[in-house]
Amino acid sequence: MTSSIARFAISVLTSDRVGIMRGITAAVADLGGNIEGISQTVVQGYFTVILIAAFPHDVTANAITDTVAAACPCGKGSVLVRHAGSVVPAPPPGPRYILTLMGREAPGILKQLTAYLAEKGINIEDWYFRVDGPAVTHIGEITVPPRLDIRQLQDDLRALLEPRDLRVHCRHENLFRATNEIESIRRMLGTEPGSDKV
Amino acid sequence: MYRTDNVLETVRMLQEENLDVRTVTMGINLTDCADRNMDTVTGAVHAKITRKARNLVRICDEVSSRYGIPIINKRLAISPASVLLEGHGPREAVRLAQALDAAAAAIQVDLIGGYTALVQKGITSGERVLIESLPRALSLTERLCASVNIASTRAGINADGVLMVAEAIVRLAMATRERHGFGAAKLVVFANSAEDNPFMAGAYLGAGEPECVINVGVSGPGVVKRAVERLVSSCPGCTLDEIAETVKHTAFRVTRTGELIGREVAERLGVPFGVLDLSLAPTPRVGDSVGEIYQAMGIARIGAPGTTAAVALLNDAVKKGGAFASASVGGLSGAFIPVMEDHALAAAVAEGSLTLAKLEAMTAVCSVGLDMILVPGDTEAVTLAGIILDEAAIGVVNRKTTAVRIIPVPGAKPGDHVNFGGLFGSGVVMAITAPGGGADFARHGGHIPAPIQSLGN
Repeated sequence: MTSSIARFAISVLTSDRVGIMRGITAAVADLGGNIEGISQTVVQGYFTVILIAAFPHDVTANAITDTVAAACPCGKGSVLVRHAGSVVPAPPPGPRYILTLMGREAPGILKQLTAYLAEKGINIEDWYFRVDGPAVTHIGEITVPPRLDIRQLQDDLRALLEPRDLRVHCRHENLFRATNEIESIRRMLGTEPGSDKV
Repeated sequence: MYRTDNVLETVRMLQEENLDVRTVTMGINLTDCADRNMDTVTGAVHAKITRKARNLVRICDEVSSRYGIPIINKRLAISPASVLLEGHGPREAVRLAQALDAAAAAIQVDLIGGYTALVQKGITSGERVLIESLPRALSLTERLCASVNIASTRAGINADGVLMVAEAIVRLAMATRERHGFGAAKLVVFANSAEDNPFMAGAYLGAGEPECVINVGVSGPGVVKRAVERLVSSCPGCTLDEIAETVKHTAFRVTRTGELIGREVAERLGVPFGVLDLSLAPTPRVGDSVGEIYQAMGIARIGAPGTTAAVALLNDAVKKGGAFASASVGGLSGAFIPVMEDHALAAAVAEGSLTLAKLEAMTAVCSVGLDMILVPGDTEAVTLAGIILDEAAIGVVNRKTTAVRIIPVPGAKPGDHVNFGGLFGSGVVMAITAPGGGADFARHGGHIPAPIQSLGN
């Protein structure tokens, strides 16, 4: 028995202007699709979006590419479409931490940092950075495997980056929820997925 | 995904504005350790404290690492020790004090409070023994802190108790004269004491509290000061209600941080979480001062006209922000004005703009009272009693906690500089107006009846 829907991951990268999202969402709707997840941002004038959508099973990747490219409008090279499978992958286990990195901008910071995170099995879920003159600020949301000792991780990061004139901190995400949301702290702690070893 | 400006604001509070958890204080009920044999009492006290709190420091350190927030002090607050002294004498009292001190050292907490007597309406034999033992108990121990509640809105003021405590302060200062009377910095005299206050020297586990509980004191004067500075800098014409609103929003964030830490520590220890005390408690460090907040508001010289209103504005806004942030706000929750522990207040005293009389006015609207005040070493006990009576009257009539932590510095005169070091800070010995002028009043003793406000039922 074949599934009646097909799920696709769609990404678009193009110069930013008003109305791109309107074009993309209209194209998806016109093909009978339903958007299940979306992440969009603009980086230095470039619009980028990734979305997951479910379509009737007879809709093809080529049809999606053509329709989205025409609706944006942008070239077909700006649109990438992939089968997403029918099962939503489970997020990596472990609590989420917010990694902040501030200091002097220099080439190779991200290469060094991401190599360390990958080696430890730490998943990057979101990343942002901003350069302001000679200074750089990175903010990353990461998932730390429960087996890792957070104090050791913090020590390692300091040893890795402080010689480059960078201040690095890794703090559990609940701190940022507590200071910026109004949800009860008790509920915040009770609904926390997984636990970490500290 | 988190808003980057929110993330950076939180990081800035921690990294640049000295936000910390000032204390995680475990309350422990020790009343079941009472016995006619003091050996049995001290053994039971040591066993119970080390059993209940053996993991306190380790777990605080773990939670501190997880959130990247310093937890400055780990402390204990026991049920009033006077209960354990019923039927005992002064010598046994000192042994109990030393046993408490040793237990605190064994589990490496910074301080232990609760060498306490509650005498607002009358004095039992155990409470009398405790008060009389204070000079030796506090001079022979390091970590032990003591408090005596001598008044409440319901009971009035126990003037006999005030005289006894004043005598004890003078003797305690003399017993620690080689340290400029430092022992008196570990004793606080209360009106309307808070049963769940986590801050020292006045923390104890009061009646109605659980068998064991975690109370948290969170501070952050540096965060509030910077928030006010940013507002005034970006909007020089801002109004006082806009300043109050800014303080309130900042207090919300600080409170939430403290509750997060407190609840997680309590959960890991397997004990109930009690209260979050949001008190702007300064340290001698620059940037961690309550006095600097008043300066940021526009009080260039602390003690000048307007200062009391600034204290009232701050204290109220802190309470409102805290109350919105958490249903567990308790303790003292407001602005402290411990003169020696706040470099800006200490400087104002040194330059003469902040006097004892002005401080007393400020205590009518701040969260506690006359705190860490140095006075001449030849100050008589009756004069100290008069100061305590005045402060208690403010608390009793206004239905609020007030306190006196006053240090007669042996051999010192007004204007002399004294340095206790560390978090206790330094300061200048203050002059007392007409010392002894109210001696006959204080010597009457007896009881000042409860005010009409107490008849609320």
